[in-house]
Amino acid sequence: MSVLKRLGFLRPAYWLPLAVLLVGLGILWSVTAKDSPYLLPPLAAVGEALAANPGFYLANAWATLAVALVGLAIGFVASFILAVLVSELPLARRAIMPIAVVLSVTPLVAIAPALVVAFGFGPEPKLIVTALICFFPILINVATGLRSVSPAVLQVFTTLHASRLEMLWHVRMPSALPYLFTALRVVFPLSIIGAVVAELSAPGAADGLGTVISVASSNNRLAVVYAAIFCLAIMGSVLLLIITAIEDRVLHWHESRQGATS
Amino acid sequence: MTLTSPAPTSTADSISIRGAVKIYGSAPSRHVALANVDVDIKRGQFVSIIGPSGCGKSTLLRLIAGLEEADAGTAEVFGVPPERACAAKMIGLVPQAPALLPWKDVLGNVSMPAKVNRRADKLRRRIHGHLERPAPDMLDLLSKAGLTDAVHKLPAQLSGGMQQRTAIVRAFGVQPDVLLMDEPFSALDEFTRESIQEQLLDIWDENKTTVVFVTHSVSEAVRLSDTVLVMSARPGRITASVDITLPRPRSQAMLKTAEFHHFEDVIRDHLQTAWQENPMTGSTPIPAGAAS
Repeated sequence: MSVLKRLGFLRPAYWLPLAVLLVGLGILWSVTAKDSPYLLPPLAAVGEALAANPGFYLANAWATLAVALVGLAIGFVASFILAVLVSELPLARRAIMPIAVVLSVTPLVAIAPALVVAFGFGPEPKLIVTALICFFPILINVATGLRSVSPAVLQVFTTLHASRLEMLWHVRMPSALPYLFTALRVVFPLSIIGAVVAELSAPGAADGLGTVISVASSNNRLAVVYAAIFCLAIMGSVLLLIITAIEDRVLHWHESRQGATS
Repeated sequence: MTLTSPAPTSTADSISIRGAVKIYGSAPSRHVALANVDVDIKRGQFVSIIGPSGCGKSTLLRLIAGLEEADAGTAEVFGVPPERACAAKMIGLVPQAPALLPWKDVLGNVSMPAKVNRRADKLRRRIHGHLERPAPDMLDLLSKAGLTDAVHKLPAQLSGGMQQRTAIVRAFGVQPDVLLMDEPFSALDEFTRESIQEQLLDIWDENKTTVVFVTHSVSEAVRLSDTVLVMSARPGRITASVDITLPRPRSQAMLKTAEFHHFEDVIRDHLQTAWQENPMTGSTPIPAGAAS
């Protein structure tokens, strides 16, 4: 039964709808590209661009990915610490959360150029933009998760006189994990958006897929633009796959996963 | 066990509440949860508190657990304030919902209390009259509660009855001086409920922990208790104390005997009298002297 379930994706009912849609879209793309080559490049041209110089795309993809992941790590550490602070100290919550909400609704695309002016074309503005874009989803979700413990559980641990640190470590943090992963599923792909936005706002930057896109589009090399976009889409999907796999492992105990196994 | 008793010579060997008053809300919508309540529960007793909803029975329990403070009056658990009793892990709580940690298996959940507040043992030894007992073998306790097969299962894989049994084992696991249970079986079906009662009595028989058990089931109160305190609402107060003199162990067969029904009737009468004297008529002023 479990083997059948695991191989379920081999059944046509599973993959056929997607395959049909993909073929349809491919035909639509090819027809459009033939009629107006300035709207879309031929798919073959995109493939050729990738095949002709895979090292070029790989190097630039790696540059973007490195910025995305380091920025994500910085944003994660900072927002997690702040989330603990905010959930433990009502005073900090009242001070910080309004600012956090206002900053989170400010479009990051608008902040990026200012950061480039301030920090130049090095990695700093890119890391800041990426960290910022990852910051708020994690802060808000983890802060909510840390406070999601049921009153009955709190009462049990209060009568045991558990310290705040013990409560945080043994009860609150594990309770916040499902909320954290909800945020991570948003934030992993988002980190790539942050890195690309920063690269687009720093036209003199040396590498990264964002730079490739901005240089190629100013030279009217549409096939290269789409090749880079294709790489970005793959990167985002892979990150999403990885985080979902980790989530399945870590949250195996969660109600949403229990129905399937028992 | 007395109601408006003369103060006993020593409170070190009992849970003692004196003149407890607890009021929720203010002026127009205020609710007197406890109006001058006195309770004495001797060590080793199994005492149930029964009454209609809103009579303050849960408030009384939370007062002993140190989860709430009285507006007037005092609460002491074997000679120390509830706060200190908690610090020494003298209190085990079984709430209405099992309140298990969903990411820990059954064994992990019942072992959890040992991982927090590790200084409690030292504090305990300093409290007069505390009976030192060795830490129990959790697997042994779990098997007594019929959870041998569930030791490595997650809470989400258990039935409601098994979850609540896990919560009971967790509470017994710290070898508390007093076990506080707040309608722990109210969400279970009749059949499960009666079999868990039996297991609870078995475990209690060996540990002889003091138990304060809040319930709204008359037969549950009679079956489990040495003494049943009947409470009445608006204002919340204790209206009767009934000693259940049925012999132990009390098997499921005893539920059908005439003696058992006799005690059920006595308690039902007390509940009804309290109800007729003071039907639901909104809030009542506190009796004179209660707030002193």
